Amino acid sequence: MPRLRKANGVDARRLKDSFANIAMHGDEVPLFFYSDLFIRHPEVRDLFPVSMKAQRDHLVAALAKVISQVDRADELAVFLKGLGRDHRKFGVIAEHYDSVRDSLVETIAHFSGDAWTPELATDWTDAYSLIADIMLTAAKKDESTSPAFWQGTVLSCERKAFDIAVLQVRPEPRLDFTPGQSVAIESPARPRLWRYYSMANAPREDGTLEFHVRLIDGGAVSMALTHLQSAGSTLRLGPPVGVLTLDSTSGSDILMIGGSTGLAPLKAMIEQIATLPQPRKVHLFFFARTMDSLYDVRSLEKLAAEHDWLTVLAVATADPKFEGQTGSVADVVARSGSWTGREVYIAGPTEMVRETSERLISAGTPREQIHVEDFGWSEP
Amino acid sequence: MTIAWQDEQKRLTPDDVQSASFPLSRLGRRGYDEEHVRAFLREVERELVTLLNEKVSLWNEVERLRRRILSGMKPGKDGGVLFGREDAHVHAVRILSNAQLTADRYVADAQAYSHRLTEEARSRRDEILTEAQRHADMVLAEAQSRAREAALATLNAPSVAPQMEADRSALKAELAYLRTFGEVYRTHLRAYTEGMLRSIAEWERSEAGAIEQASADAEAGGSFSLGHP
Repeated sequence: MPRLRKANGVDARRLKDSFANIAMHGDEVPLFFYSDLFIRHPEVRDLFPVSMKAQRDHLVAALAKVISQVDRADELAVFLKGLGRDHRKFGVIAEHYDSVRDSLVETIAHFSGDAWTPELATDWTDAYSLIADIMLTAAKKDESTSPAFWQGTVLSCERKAFDIAVLQVRPEPRLDFTPGQSVAIESPARPRLWRYYSMANAPREDGTLEFHVRLIDGGAVSMALTHLQSAGSTLRLGPPVGVLTLDSTSGSDILMIGGSTGLAPLKAMIEQIATLPQPRKVHLFFFARTMDSLYDVRSLEKLAAEHDWLTVLAVATADPKFEGQTGSVADVVARSGSWTGREVYIAGPTEMVRETSERLISAGTPREQIHVEDFGWSEP
Repeated sequence: MTIAWQDEQKRLTPDDVQSASFPLSRLGRRGYDEEHVRAFLREVERELVTLLNEKVSLWNEVERLRRRILSGMKPGKDGGVLFGREDAHVHAVRILSNAQLTADRYVADAQAYSHRLTEEARSRRDEILTEAQRHADMVLAEAQSRAREAALATLNAPSVAPQMEADRSALKAELAYLRTFGEVYRTHLRAYTEGMLRSIAEWERSEAGAIEQASADAEAGGSFSLGHP
């Protein structure tokens, strides 16, 4: 990558010092940046949500990451390419990159005060050009293989539990993905707010996708998806992302642990395994707080009855009426047997995923055999 | 008529006006009163002088202000009466930033409120379900014990023919059990369902009231904020 080596020509030390210097001003910096950008280019405001709080945090986090790795070009390039592709669904085009550069340099100059020099201006402008170049090149390359976003038509929205809905969506054009992956979803009821949801099915012949959405208390997007959808309404879907996919190089038996709607990617992988000539043994734990939140038990039981390689155990962790095992997810899994030697796939609430994988690791499962989702830096 | 300003290169000066001369009209032809023309020209000359003086002083003022801007006037110094383009931009950025922060706060408040509301609804729902379950268990237990009593009473009733009567009375006892059980259970279920319906109706009424109140508040709030830009 010849262009990247040139990045080393930029004085990394000076950039880092300059960034540390303005980072002291905290939220003021991104606030100034976006206001400056919107005053110069009012049309860009439409690409952002009403509340900019999360957006400002993302900007600062991404900037901090880029600056800290500015002298490690290869690592940075992977991140920037992803970022460039990721920005397509937001409607970002090449011209916007120049607008952002102007406002960024203006902002840094503003907060640098007397420390602002022509050399520093050149450093920032050059560094930005390299960054924008990598992002734009990746975005352009992506254009030939994939649309910026897919239009999704909701075919049905079924309330499976008090706070869980299952959506069937037909994307246009066809959206190809690997079971276990996710897409970012935007509802027209909450413009410019994107949230990741996993497809709960392996690719189907008719191309439709199934999403399991849990209503998060106070969650803007989950509310729109569980309560404001009806057949025929449309959504926007981003490109498929995610690393929680079946490791086809391994022949080991599989342990799957799904908390609430974390079941979705696991179900997609089970459907995929069912199509393999020699399915591996799968043991699936499905956890929810209460019995009626075990929203998909019936279809899981059906799957288990169809496939002798699949064992399903549904557990309500905090329901006094539940007659099976109760307790924390990690406890129940640990009590239920020795899982060393299994490939493990865990999905669900962050805390549950973390605790359960730590427990399995301390019980002897190698870390590399534990698969969890990681969207990296491409938080929508 | 001879006046210099007819020359295209030059502009009309007070001197031109002063030195302007007009040939007299030939005898027998009508013409303006010479004195009136002179008086008017004097007035034009005075006006021109005033305008030119004003122009010079305005020019000087513009120059002075331009120098102040170029010398990098900082806000606050000189009372900050005048902004350079840079300052104006920074001020615009500040105003927009404040507006954005206000919008962020509104969204965050709305989200916090919705969070609290769903959380409360969820726990209230759990309470109602637990209460309903407890009630159902109680009704069931009561119906069972009353039915058992009824059955025992039938069994203990005096018998006529020992064997057949024993069978019959056992059947009758079971029938009595089932009938009583069913009756007690139905009565309780009806009472409970009616109670539930009443509380749903009440809920509907109070929600309608709350929505009316909220929309009235919203309208009042709207005009209030208009009055205080």
